[in-house]
Amino acid sequence: MIENFSSALLGERYTVKHHESGVDIYVFPKKMTTAYALFATNFGAVDSALDERGQQPLPHGIAHFLEHKLFAAPDGSDAFERFSEYGADANAYTSHTRTVYLFSTTDRFADSFGELIDFVTHPYFTDENVAREQGIIAEEIRMCRDNPYDACYYNMLGGLYHNHSVKIDICGSLESIATITPAVLYRAYEAFYHPCNMVLIVCGDVTPEEVFALADEHLPRSAPKRETPRYTVAEPRTVHAARVTGTGQVAKPLFMIGVKDPDIPDEPRARLYKDAAMAVLGEMLFSESGELYSALFDEGLISPGLSAEYALTRDFAFYQLAGEADQPETVFGRVMNYLAACREKGLSREDFERARRVEYAEFIKSFDSTEEIANTLLSFAVEGVDIFSYADVLQGLRFEDVERFLREVFDPSHVTLSVIYPKE
Amino acid sequence: MKPQYFSIGRYGRLIYIPTDRFKSELLSLSFVVPLTADTAQKNAMLIALSRRGTVSYPTQTALNRHLDGLYSTAISTSNRRLGEMQQITMTADFLGARFVGGGRGLLPEVVSLLHELLCCPLTDGEGCYQAAYVAGEKQVLRDAIRAAINNPRGYALTKARELLCAGEPYALSLIGEEKTVNALTPAALTARHRALLSEIAPLFCYVGATPPEAVCALLESRFATVGAPAASFVTDVKAHEGATRYGEEEMPISQGKLVLGFRTDVGATHSLAPATVLLNEIYGGSPASKLFMNVREKLGLCYHCSSAYQMQKGIMMANCGIKLSNRSVAEEAMQGEFEAVRRGHISKTEMEAAALSTVSAYRSAFDNPAALARFYIARAHAGVDEGIEQWRERLAAVTREQVVEAAQHFTLGAVFFLKGTDTEEGLE
Repeated sequence: MIENFSSALLGERYTVKHHESGVDIYVFPKKMTTAYALFATNFGAVDSALDERGQQPLPHGIAHFLEHKLFAAPDGSDAFERFSEYGADANAYTSHTRTVYLFSTTDRFADSFGELIDFVTHPYFTDENVAREQGIIAEEIRMCRDNPYDACYYNMLGGLYHNHSVKIDICGSLESIATITPAVLYRAYEAFYHPCNMVLIVCGDVTPEEVFALADEHLPRSAPKRETPRYTVAEPRTVHAARVTGTGQVAKPLFMIGVKDPDIPDEPRARLYKDAAMAVLGEMLFSESGELYSALFDEGLISPGLSAEYALTRDFAFYQLAGEADQPETVFGRVMNYLAACREKGLSREDFERARRVEYAEFIKSFDSTEEIANTLLSFAVEGVDIFSYADVLQGLRFEDVERFLREVFDPSHVTLSVIYPKE
Repeated sequence: MKPQYFSIGRYGRLIYIPTDRFKSELLSLSFVVPLTADTAQKNAMLIALSRRGTVSYPTQTALNRHLDGLYSTAISTSNRRLGEMQQITMTADFLGARFVGGGRGLLPEVVSLLHELLCCPLTDGEGCYQAAYVAGEKQVLRDAIRAAINNPRGYALTKARELLCAGEPYALSLIGEEKTVNALTPAALTARHRALLSEIAPLFCYVGATPPEAVCALLESRFATVGAPAASFVTDVKAHEGATRYGEEEMPISQGKLVLGFRTDVGATHSLAPATVLLNEIYGGSPASKLFMNVREKLGLCYHCSSAYQMQKGIMMANCGIKLSNRSVAEEAMQGEFEAVRRGHISKTEMEAAALSTVSAYRSAFDNPAALARFYIARAHAGVDEGIEQWRERLAAVTREQVVEAAQHFTLGAVFFLKGTDTEEGLE
């Protein structure tokens, strides 16, 4: 089945094919020099706590380990070498919820696209190559451990969540990766790299027809449908700890204020609406044009730059506000008082329109990059929602709903403060 | 997308890159001044102060709200080394005219804003920078200088550069030292601002669909009298002489950072410049490079291991993150991979892959207004009259022999090791 989507506002269109193998293929033609393609599976770090029966735990860091190891081929070569021969720039990443393999190229798209599908669909793990990868990933873990921003982030998640595996480091730990064997990798691969759990996305100067034809050459013509196991663990609404502190190699304390949002809409379109509303709300509350940032910065309480972000997935959601401050507790108090005052007196409609205009402009500008389009399209594809509908959602956003989310999400009892202080 | 060049006023120039490929437009204002210990920090402060408040937008909030009103126009600033020069750039990224109500577009407002940021800082009754803003930015600057330790890899690369280029302007910090921050008074900064405006030759770069006459007219209306004759571009590109310099520091981190600093007399204007770019690609510039494939993948010594060539200075820094016990073997392996290139152990596949990869990387600049602007601005400042297409053709024509010849120009000038002192654990 093939579906077409278009946007008069943007002058863009894309096509989706539900391939016989079970893989959904999205093609977004764009007259750019660089074509960008990604092959993703809905298998991320949060899925590492179960196996194909949803019972026996897989080691933490398994999704990330698989991501590293899939590049290996039986002849001892590496997919990077072949991408390089085609002049393509390849990479991969693992997030909390998915693993993504990708390349960008200005030439020989067909060769690179075939290679992308081939290496992801042909795992090859041996005792020897797994042992070597343990050494490489151990160094990645050490590197991340030295990163105070990572430490602050995971401490915040550890404060927000009692049980949910979103709090586990995506790379795993030195101990957990030491338990990974080829057999464990094959087991995880079989469970989560089923075509029904995967999506292919291409953005560039290509036609849907040529991409679909290439996919036919490299993907199986059919595959039995199979349910992918999903992580289900009881997670209380409350936070696990209101404060988490640590020390790190920093000149000035880093802080992250996390807000756990236990109210996740069931329907994808409702999630999109909430996501858009939270983006506008975040812009209203925390942007550098706002009252809070100006006050904190002008008083010298924070360093320049306060990052604010909302993460919303099917089974976890949280807000995070991060910055640097000599007195993080004072800043935390000011933020909480500010949110209480906003809840009390309500938001400004003028601010709402300003923030909505900012979001609208950012949305349009995001269609200037094949990489950004493909990655944003992936987020929408996973939800089964049309990417172009975001402009309509922004347009239809109700001020009253944004005020409601302010009251519901920024509940003071759902907040954790994570701080990394300088080492003595 | 072939650029055109125009004069703006007495001293300014415009690089005009016509395209309707993007939904956004870009306008940047860039200038270079000699990189000196006396002025680099002050210049950095002036740029920061421009965002604190101007005559028309006296507070940061007022300025940011104005930018929001311009459909989230973003103004970014950069402070870089270009040879022995300090290059400062203000870049406005804004929504294209067809997406903005009224059809007039945002360019007139953006031009006014860049002029305001450069020429009209908020001053007190005596014409000096606001004392409160200066005090605030001094603290921000102190914090930024101290924050170098937050990024161990960046810290190690900085130390290696200082070791490799000791005594040269290139070794200087772009934001200066903490000990000189106290001397940054409103009067001193105001004097520096006046001096700067009489030293710089503004270089503009526009990427978008507005006709060139309209862009020129707008820029002329604001910048006709701003600036001075362009300062001569200076860079000291030379091979390292004498013994390799070694440096080491300890830091309470779990992973050590090893940096090898190489020098060459091949700079941007040398005929071997394209071959040196390919050399870096083969050595450590990509996931198919010798450092990645051998030091990381085959030996499993590290997660990151790569190299980067700074063409305007003729230096190449290779670096990796390792556990302490692997220091010697990693250094030996990284040097060994370079020796392999020097001896001509470059396969046909490596050579072809490096050429394809670098040519492709420059081709992809056509998809990115900021990358296009960066390429042409750096070349214009350095007086190199060469477009992306010509540069790509030269890269594609590089032979294996030229890469090997380029390798003979390199010497290992410095080795720096940032020794992690946190306890090792786990997989030993």
